[in-house]
Amino acid sequence: MQWIPEYREDVPRVERFNSLARFTHWTHTVTFLLCLFTGLALFLDGVDWLAAIFGGYRGAGLVHRIAAVILTVSILTAMAVGFKGVIAWIKDLLRFGKNDIGFLMVFPLEFLGFKVKIPPQTRFNGGEKMNSVVTPTMVFLLMISGWIIWWPSIWWPGLVRFSYWVHDLAMIFGTLMVCMHGYLGSFHPGSGESFWGMWKGTVREDWAKHHHAIWYEETYGDKAKTEEE
Amino acid sequence: MTRLMTNLYDSSKCTACRGCFTACKDSNQLPAVFDKSYFGGPGNGTYDSKDGDTDANTYMMIRFNETEDPVDGVRWNFLKWQCMHCMEPACLAVCPKSAYTKLDWGATFHDEDKCIGCQYCTYACPFGIPKYRKHTDTVTKCTLCYERVAEGLTPACARSCAPGAVKFGYRDELLEEARIRVKFLRANGFPRATIYGETELGAGTNKLYILTDTPDKFGLPVNPQVEGNTVFWQDWVQPYAGWLIPLALGGSAVSFVTSRVVANKNEEHGKGGHA
Repeated sequence: MQWIPEYREDVPRVERFNSLARFTHWTHTVTFLLCLFTGLALFLDGVDWLAAIFGGYRGAGLVHRIAAVILTVSILTAMAVGFKGVIAWIKDLLRFGKNDIGFLMVFPLEFLGFKVKIPPQTRFNGGEKMNSVVTPTMVFLLMISGWIIWWPSIWWPGLVRFSYWVHDLAMIFGTLMVCMHGYLGSFHPGSGESFWGMWKGTVREDWAKHHHAIWYEETYGDKAKTEEE
Repeated sequence: MTRLMTNLYDSSKCTACRGCFTACKDSNQLPAVFDKSYFGGPGNGTYDSKDGDTDANTYMMIRFNETEDPVDGVRWNFLKWQCMHCMEPACLAVCPKSAYTKLDWGATFHDEDKCIGCQYCTYACPFGIPKYRKHTDTVTKCTLCYERVAEGLTPACARSCAPGAVKFGYRDELLEEARIRVKFLRANGFPRATIYGETELGAGTNKLYILTDTPDKFGLPVNPQVEGNTVFWQDWVQPYAGWLIPLALGGSAVSFVTSRVVANKNEEHGKGGHA
């Protein structure tokens, strides 16, 4: 059984994510997961074994805080350094249109492996657009509420109580998206190639044409080439 | 069910000698805490030995509430302030480590060995009682001297009270006594005298008070409540929202299998490309 599509150097490839995006993505992955599992030790009842991995509840708390600091710093730094990229990302999200709705309508079938016809997509398809809005929103909510919970005594008590459930709920929705994103970006046969886009930076040209026709046309297609000349 | 045992504090008898405060520190081996009011600073503007609230090394204190009334003139209302040992404690509900237990005789017991210092309880408590102690990274609060009670002794505060303002005994008996005392006070110059802790927070608290005036004149919440944010968090978010994560994982697992079964019929996807 095949887990993820094979990385093939013998076919033409196009760049999908630059090194800054990739570095930030994987830093975020590691710190988010560390925060998640150390946080679950508190969220779930009776998971002493989970806390024990991190050296008990206090150890888990320490790992949670260290990971949270790295997460916050890396995201804010990357947003400042790669500001142009963030703007381009947001611009692509704002292109949400009929083709994205079309994508989301047939996606459940595609998800289960059925062959479906999907309208041409921009750099990020309808589902990725959704992930691009929900996950960062949840992560920002987690960061803000988390920093409030860390130093509760300097805030208005009502804000601390508010932050507790915001932190939990944002964790749940964020993790929901991360689970789906992690699966779709690796083991899902249809979109698995995108894993290489984030790992090596490039995807197969034919895959890009097929999955992100509009993006491919605008970036690497004939029109883009003419403009370059 | 074991008969509930509780403290009854009679504000009309309290002279604010702070013997209970000292006995509490002594019995619980707590160090002195020097704060603003001790050094003659502004503090909270009263003659409290503390700034109007307990701290991690002061499980209980006597609050000094000065009130002014056109009829009664100036009055100094003293209040013994500590954990109320609620019948349905919010601290117990929010604690992720189950460090809190409700002892069968009525005390809300906090096990410091289990505590990890998250302070959820501090913010859930309608009275804001559990306090964070930095050097142990735990919260602390009044224990109702459970270890003394277990040995058949009375809590240190009740044991030390010279004017007999703090008593310890069976809750039903003390409630009966409180009713008689309030009736007496109402007939003798304290028309607003009342019992506090019998029905507060629905089920009541396991610390009973005889107040010579309305609770607000003693700095007590008239209608204490667990905050809506805490209720929403505990009763809705925590029990019902978490299933979304296993749902996503389960969905992915289903897709992992079905897409491989179905995708095998669609050769091109199986090969991972779209040539």
